[in-house]
Amino acid sequence: MALKGLDIFKLSPKKNCKECGSPTCMAFSMKVAQGTVSIDACPYFSEDAKTAMREAAAPPMKTIKVGTGDQQYVLGGETVLFRHEKTFVNKTRYAVALCSSMDDAVIEEKLAAIEKVDYDRIGERMFVEMVYVNYDPKSGAVKYMELVKKAAGLNRVLILGVEDPEVARTALDLCKDSKPILNGANASNYEEMNAVVAGAGVALGVSGENDSELYDTLAALEKLGNKNLLFNANTDSIKAAYATTVQYRRAAIKDNDRTCGYPSIVNVAKLARGDNHLQAALLAAFTMKYGSILVADHLDYAEALPLYGIRQNVFTDPQKPMKVEPGIYPINGGDENAICLTTVDFALTYFVVSGELERSGVPCNLIVNDAGGLSVLTSWAAGKFSSSSIAKFFEEQDIAGKIKCRKLCIPGKVAALKGELEAKMPDWEIIVAPKEAVQLVKFLKDMQ
Amino acid sequence: MGKFVVIGERLSVTAPIINKAFTERDPEPILKRAKQQLDAGAVYLDVNIGPAQSDGADLMKWAVQLLQSEFDNVPLALDTSNKAAIEAGMSVYNRAKGKPIINSADAAGRIEYLDLAAANDAICIALCNGEGIAKDNDERMMYCQTLLERGLEQGMEAEDIWFDPLFLVVKGMQDKQMQILECIKMFSDMGLNSTGGLSNNSNGMPKHIRPIMDSALVAMAMMQGLTSAIVNPNDLRLMETIKSCDILKGNTLYADSYLEI
Amino acid sequence: MPFTAKSGKFNASIRSLTIGIGDKAITLGGECVLPFYSFDAAIENAPKVGIEITDCGMAAEPESVQKYYEGCTSVTDMAKRAAEFDGVDFLSLRLEGGDPNGLNKSIEELIRIVKDVAAAVDLPLVVCGCKSEKKDEELLSKAAEVLNGKNALLLAAKEENYKTVGAAGLACKQVVGAESSVDINLAKQLNVLLTQSGVDPQAIAMNIGSAAAGYGFEYVISTMDRIKAAALSQGDAALQMPIITPVACEVWSVKEVIASESDIPEWGSAKERGIDMEVETATAVLFSGSDAVILKHPESVATISKLIKELV
Repeated sequence: MALKGLDIFKLSPKKNCKECGSPTCMAFSMKVAQGTVSIDACPYFSEDAKTAMREAAAPPMKTIKVGTGDQQYVLGGETVLFRHEKTFVNKTRYAVALCSSMDDAVIEEKLAAIEKVDYDRIGERMFVEMVYVNYDPKSGAVKYMELVKKAAGLNRVLILGVEDPEVARTALDLCKDSKPILNGANASNYEEMNAVVAGAGVALGVSGENDSELYDTLAALEKLGNKNLLFNANTDSIKAAYATTVQYRRAAIKDNDRTCGYPSIVNVAKLARGDNHLQAALLAAFTMKYGSILVADHLDYAEALPLYGIRQNVFTDPQKPMKVEPGIYPINGGDENAICLTTVDFALTYFVVSGELERSGVPCNLIVNDAGGLSVLTSWAAGKFSSSSIAKFFEEQDIAGKIKCRKLCIPGKVAALKGELEAKMPDWEIIVAPKEAVQLVKFLKDMQ
Repeated sequence: MGKFVVIGERLSVTAPIINKAFTERDPEPILKRAKQQLDAGAVYLDVNIGPAQSDGADLMKWAVQLLQSEFDNVPLALDTSNKAAIEAGMSVYNRAKGKPIINSADAAGRIEYLDLAAANDAICIALCNGEGIAKDNDERMMYCQTLLERGLEQGMEAEDIWFDPLFLVVKGMQDKQMQILECIKMFSDMGLNSTGGLSNNSNGMPKHIRPIMDSALVAMAMMQGLTSAIVNPNDLRLMETIKSCDILKGNTLYADSYLEI
Repeated sequence: MPFTAKSGKFNASIRSLTIGIGDKAITLGGECVLPFYSFDAAIENAPKVGIEITDCGMAAEPESVQKYYEGCTSVTDMAKRAAEFDGVDFLSLRLEGGDPNGLNKSIEELIRIVKDVAAAVDLPLVVCGCKSEKKDEELLSKAAEVLNGKNALLLAAKEENYKTVGAAGLACKQVVGAESSVDINLAKQLNVLLTQSGVDPQAIAMNIGSAAAGYGFEYVISTMDRIKAAALSQGDAALQMPIITPVACEVWSVKEVIASESDIPEWGSAKERGIDMEVETATAVLFSGSDAVILKHPESVATISKLIKELV
């Protein structure tokens, strides 16, 4: 975050010696803040003050990379607390938990279930990106290594939940090239764990009995030179987990406390205590507020469909509305003889309209225009959804060559385009559809 | 960004009717003017009792209690060169609706007003002026630095020091106007709050011109980052301009009725 | 060095608003912190959960909800049953049968149901209109009359009918809901207009609109975030009204919920899909700043109620 003149002034020598060429230290501080003068122009700025300045100017939150290749994910790196202030940049990622205490049968079932949820939503692959592999000391290291190997077979980012440095080292030997996360540092083992990750070059997850102990451990690891860290939200209660997650993020971004500026891991499986619907609620909650990795007991379609929708919404850049690819979208098995409806490429419009069309059960073709990602009325007002733009789009895409039906429904909100379209596209019968998408079902059924 | 803070200037000994009311401890004219200003959108009311050398302490106490009891602890700016009167005013001040403002310190004889503000957790207006009018912005910023350092040394938060560039009259000092506006930009770049007697610019102009000049200046000054002004809130054109600028700056959320609230 | 978080408590707070009467009355709002930031300051009134039934009775409910009302033969029966479900703080009666483009039931018929329901339960009552702003003028005004003394919430006054609905609320001492569809400037303007027309700001709740998770929900988040920022951080009195969000009417019609198990077998249980869509949307709405949500499925209500208790 850029420093204000005032922050620099507070660190300045306040001598007004003019040796830097500025009349006062305040004027100098202002120029440094604007970037027009280097801090080195002042002979009296102490090294400590310069270090403090450099630190303060660094991004408030670390960007941590985990995984490799097409399974590499970037976590953290946020600069705002609310999406409307700029945008959130790195999505929450979801992990499903396995534990070496589980029966083989349960593990096989879980592994299969992890692969089940995998679909596309507006050009984004939705699936469980990570697998949390927890070590149960009672079941022994051998069984754990077996589990790690099996989990690695899924080709997802692994999170190794191990607090024993020896076991951690052996497990990392199996999978460190895929850059997993070692989640197991705490106040009593952090030095050894730091040595383990130093050798393997992977990120280290840190826990504490409470938020202060966690803070001290993070600070101690930073002192050892490790800034490739994540922190675990307190799992004593939902309230405690929310407190850690929000307060750490806020301390980093608003109050410039770099020690808090790491991505978070929230174990919602622990917090939900076996209540599936509560787990669904918690996944949504920590996606909204500052969870970087959420660890779930399981993730089926019922939970995933709304969850990935929320995530896609939360992490959309407010400056760039979500767009769908313009073109012909056949619905309910619509073929070249099916009726055509046209609308804009604003993702929300597409979703609502296509949802209603699907509900109608009537085979049809939804023709999505290139309208700059704006809604019907907005794009119409901006001249991006006009009779000429529609006619041009139909020509460019050769719609008439691809579809034989000559019935075209236009959104009721732009009923005024009917006459102009009839003039520009004389082969087509232009029909005005209802103003609201919810009325489409009745409209289509009535037409049949 | 916070909303622009309008400090109503009309409770002043420079107005004969108010001067008389202060002297006679007559509540009616004071409450009437206070209400007019609050209804028009003033956030703070400036209480200028003048030098008030003989009975300043008693008068300020009376005025603070009168206004705060009538108008739900309205926040006030205590404006006098009598330090004891300011202390007395603060001793009875209720800060439920906002810290008191001390009006004002300068970089010469009145720098210790900052100490007073620090000791009482008050906001202090800091006039970037020494003896006589500053010749340029280098000099203004020198005073600004002196005042800021003093305040910080005394334990104040920088945000509680509201820097006043000293608005100058156009008739006679037309060539200084852009300097003042640039000075406000410097305060703003430093992350400092600012205020001042903005309508001073139009002193001596025909009465119908003044709201036009004041509105133009407040718009330009708000663009430069001015965060407050001591003005006449019953100047409708000025208040409409301030409210509109607050919308454009995102300090308040737009609604069709924004001028009415 | 212990971790000491700076407090995010604001000097301003959301107005508190009471709906209903007697022991069961509920109070919304009053908080001076962001949603569930109880670590900044105590949250005076936990968010509340309402359950929605409609004048159309069982027929209008999804299969998985019908089960919970087995044996009910009237809307009143359903209201009584709904009042008993775990976690229900208030009852919302949606008069969707009045929709002129739908069943177009007469106002008399609907008002009879309102009266019967009000007589049958002692829970705080929310009456939701019928999608037609014009018809709602008379419908909600009549509802306000028959609910005299119940301190019910009329949902809602919109830009097109706020004068009539606001006046009815004022005359019959009911709480008025101001509905804007995810338009922050209109949300503020409606509050100003209602206040100017004489409605006590303490008797206004906002429905700023919603969407199902995944359906442009980013606009809901940012509208609520900005409303809370204006109300708490800028102290904007015209936006300090508590927010109530009907979630049920948004979520039970989206594809993820209504697709049958035979259509998309891999998606699994339709019941679970419905509940999770409702639970996750409601959670997201609450975490954006809503002071109350209206849900349909008793399991959703129980889950959200449990979540709230854990957080406040």
